Amino acid sequence: MKNNKKESLIWRRLDNSAKIYPLSTGRKYSTVFRLSVLLKENIKPDVLQDSLNETLEKYKSFKVRLKKGFFWHYLENNPKLPIVEEEKEYPCKYIEPSLNRGYLFKVTYFANKINIDIYHVLTDGNSGTIFFKEIIYKYLEKCYPKELENENKRIIKIEDNTEDSYIKNYDKYSKSNGIIKSAYKLKGKKIRLGAVSAIHQIINLEQLKDETKKYKATITQYLTAVLIYSIYKENYNKNSKKSIKVCIPVNLKKYFPSKTMSNFFSYIFVEIKNKEVWTFEEILEVVKNEFEKQLKEEEVLKTMSGNVKFGNNILVKAVPLLLKIILVRFAYIKIRRISTITYSNIGRIGIIGNYKNYIDNFLMLIAPGQYERVKCSSCTYENNIVFTFTSILNDNKIEKSFYNFLKNKGIEIKIESNGVLDDIS
Amino acid sequence: MIYPKKLNSRKSKIIIDVLLIFTMLISAILILINKLTTPNVSWAYIAICGFVYFWVTLIYSLKRNTNIAAHILLHMITTSLVVLYIDKILNFTGWSICIGIPIILMAANSTMLGLSIIDSKRYIRYAIYQLVIVCISIVQFIIAMNLNIDFKVLNIVSVIISLLNFIISLILSYKEFYKIIICKFHI
Repeated sequence: MKNNKKESLIWRRLDNSAKIYPLSTGRKYSTVFRLSVLLKENIKPDVLQDSLNETLEKYKSFKVRLKKGFFWHYLENNPKLPIVEEEKEYPCKYIEPSLNRGYLFKVTYFANKINIDIYHVLTDGNSGTIFFKEIIYKYLEKCYPKELENENKRIIKIEDNTEDSYIKNYDKYSKSNGIIKSAYKLKGKKIRLGAVSAIHQIINLEQLKDETKKYKATITQYLTAVLIYSIYKENYNKNSKKSIKVCIPVNLKKYFPSKTMSNFFSYIFVEIKNKEVWTFEEILEVVKNEFEKQLKEEEVLKTMSGNVKFGNNILVKAVPLLLKIILVRFAYIKIRRISTITYSNIGRIGIIGNYKNYIDNFLMLIAPGQYERVKCSSCTYENNIVFTFTSILNDNKIEKSFYNFLKNKGIEIKIESNGVLDDIS
Repeated sequence: MIYPKKLNSRKSKIIIDVLLIFTMLISAILILINKLTTPNVSWAYIAICGFVYFWVTLIYSLKRNTNIAAHILLHMITTSLVVLYIDKILNFTGWSICIGIPIILMAANSTMLGLSIIDSKRYIRYAIYQLVIVCISIVQFIIAMNLNIDFKVLNIVSVIISLLNFIISLILSYKEFYKIIICKFHI
């Protein structure tokens, strides 16, 4: 008990990006993302529980609970242990800390799949992957001790760093990118009773690479263009004055030196203005130009600094938390409208040595919201890139169009889903 | 399959629509019985209010992913007590026993049936709550039979509905139910 008391005194501030989430999120806007791994054999829950407990001992930054301060929320060491559960609910549901032993992540399993749902307050997709991989390594080592005997002795240098890399790297004098107008909202009826559809399109990476080379585009650029083209064809109201805007998170660790396990990402927006006819090639050209323009270091710095400066503003800091929650929720009614859809590509998930022999694939999902009713994410493992649509819309026309476009290009695609919407064929 | 089986959006739409039609049909029948038997007391409209109340609870609980069956049972017991209390302070004429509580029981039963169809994986969980509803139905039936009241149709209807509903759930999950009974009662 004494020890528990001592531990509970360890606390840390939320990073600059995380500060906003507890103020703005709820059941309808969860900011939860999920990472899943598909193993070759069914999951052993007890072993998974042990692996999670051991991993948490190494990554103390995840062994925390959210507390309310007078001005901001903060994270405090959580003396309880999390409980691994069988997957029963829809993916990326809001994590209610009081019903989750205070934890801001949830580990679940189903058949041969392990999931981790992470509330964005805790970390971003990049660091979430590091933590998740450690759970997987531990789990596999326990399940196959003989086969992974040599791997077991791996020395992993764990850097459980929780510095606020935003504060460390932002530029005080940088000017922000200005106000952004609201974007086109995807039309259609919602699925009843709060259900969430998840459709995974497992794409052959080599074939996709060959296709993107023809257009001198990166995979993210190409898939963003296919996504916009699918929205334009299947959902966009050609009379709308609003543009289709795709929000693309950017991993800031590629731009600034950081080893933090906290959030460290920014975003760019790709905008396709209303025009009578858009061809795929034209859309791709716009996407490439926007990526090139907005991913320059000075532009990334501008966006990041703008957000940090807002959070560091003395007036903003001085507002009591209760009032902040009301003001931020009110402001977010408008802020949420700035993008039509989000597409997050966390890139390749690298698995070392013989661990690969026990893994089939990885999946990534992000929670859709009331305004961004569909969200997309992708990750790469071996020769597969898994592009996932999570949606609360009661039709899958965009998903079908996306699938047909790539199929018509001669790229092999397989579909997996949670069965909420009808199958794509 | 990489996800637990969830109800397809098209199927859930059909189920909800069918249940809505079923509720409307029951409401119409109750209005008809009301007009034919006791036209001076509009108890059927109270029953319809009860249906609306339970539908709102059902949708709210499903969206919030809470323990719906427990909610319904709790609401059923508290509203029954409130009705009984109102009757008592109005010089107890027995309307709470012969009209109020049977209507609450019927509404709770139809919601439980809806739940069992929508969330088929939890038959067993709902069966336990339905067992409690059956017990309450039998108790109110016995009390009604021993009271000096003429109108006992709803008491009979409600106990039959409770039993039927419970039997349906038992058929759907008899194996699990048997195990739970042994475990809960240490048989």
